Amino acid sequence: MMIRVLLIGGFAAIGWFVFRRRNRLPLHIMLVFLLLIAGAIAVVFPMLTTDVANVLGVGRGADLITYIAIVTVMFVLVHYYTKFAELQQQVTDLTRELAILRAEVDRVAPPTPAVAPDEQRASERS
Amino acid sequence: MFRTDDTWVVVAAFNEAAVIEGVIGELVRGGWRAVVVDDGSTDATAQKARAGGAAVVRHSINRGQGAALQTGIDYAIRRGARAIITFDADGQHDAADIPALLAALDDADIALGSRFLGTIEGATRGRRAMLRSATKVSNGLSGLKLTDAHCGLRAIRASAVPQLRLSQDRMAHASELLRKIRLARLRVIEVPVTIRYTEHSMRKGQGGLQAIRILFDYFFRS
Repeated sequence: MMIRVLLIGGFAAIGWFVFRRRNRLPLHIMLVFLLLIAGAIAVVFPMLTTDVANVLGVGRGADLITYIAIVTVMFVLVHYYTKFAELQQQVTDLTRELAILRAEVDRVAPPTPAVAPDEQRASERS
Repeated sequence: MFRTDDTWVVVAAFNEAAVIEGVIGELVRGGWRAVVVDDGSTDATAQKARAGGAAVVRHSINRGQGAALQTGIDYAIRRGARAIITFDADGQHDAADIPALLAALDDADIALGSRFLGTIEGATRGRRAMLRSATKVSNGLSGLKLTDAHCGLRAIRASAVPQLRLSQDRMAHASELLRKIRLARLRVIEVPVTIRYTEHSMRKGQGGLQAIRILFDYFFRS
């Protein structure tokens, strides 16, 4: 039963990561641990998933888990896509702010190099 | 009536060092104030634009044409612009068309250049056909009835700017602008303009494949 060892090892690793990075609300961590424990139970007693599947009208437990996994992955994708788009917008806003600010600073107080550009380059090289 | 000295010409440029100085020179000789938004170019676009006589605002990271235009518009408003002209960096527009666009603002909030009412020089048949179908799609999306939906030469009243904020960083900003014109019920007018396609501007232009990206952005990024 190598697969059980691998799966439970994987769950344990995820649990360890979440525990080490516990900067979130305790509720989030509790939720993750509950899911991990549920996963571990499903690994040790696979027939339980079939019982749940039958109650929901699905033939096999493995099928039920596949369906749940697909929906979950899609949800996570949409979530991160939204985050990504938000981040893009924020980067644009910052870039814009910085660009205008720099242009205005240069207009009001034009950069006045203390040394001639050629000398400056020479001193940077040395 | 808008005057030359309260109008700013906004030019978004990405790696246009080869032509930008000439384009800005033409605007400056016409008496216009110009701001070039250098959208994170890796060539000498900023220096060339400055040499041509434009104010330069520089995005430190490339953010796309829509983002660059909005930055230029914000800058122009800061500098006291009452009217804003958007003008392409690749040399396809003619500064001689600006007075007509500006005059059109007397009875409108935004004046859009139309190459199909005006003149197109040097475009291939395929490109014209593509532009016409893009206009149809755009009209369908925005509910406006325009002859040319994606011309980069426009005039905008400063008072209409807050209602027309572009959140589309890349090329979908053109369609976004039309949708916002419609939503805000702004008065829009089309003005005939001349477009000069050159080998350079054709290369920098949008191909058929990019159209898919633009549509994706339009629907999923707003």
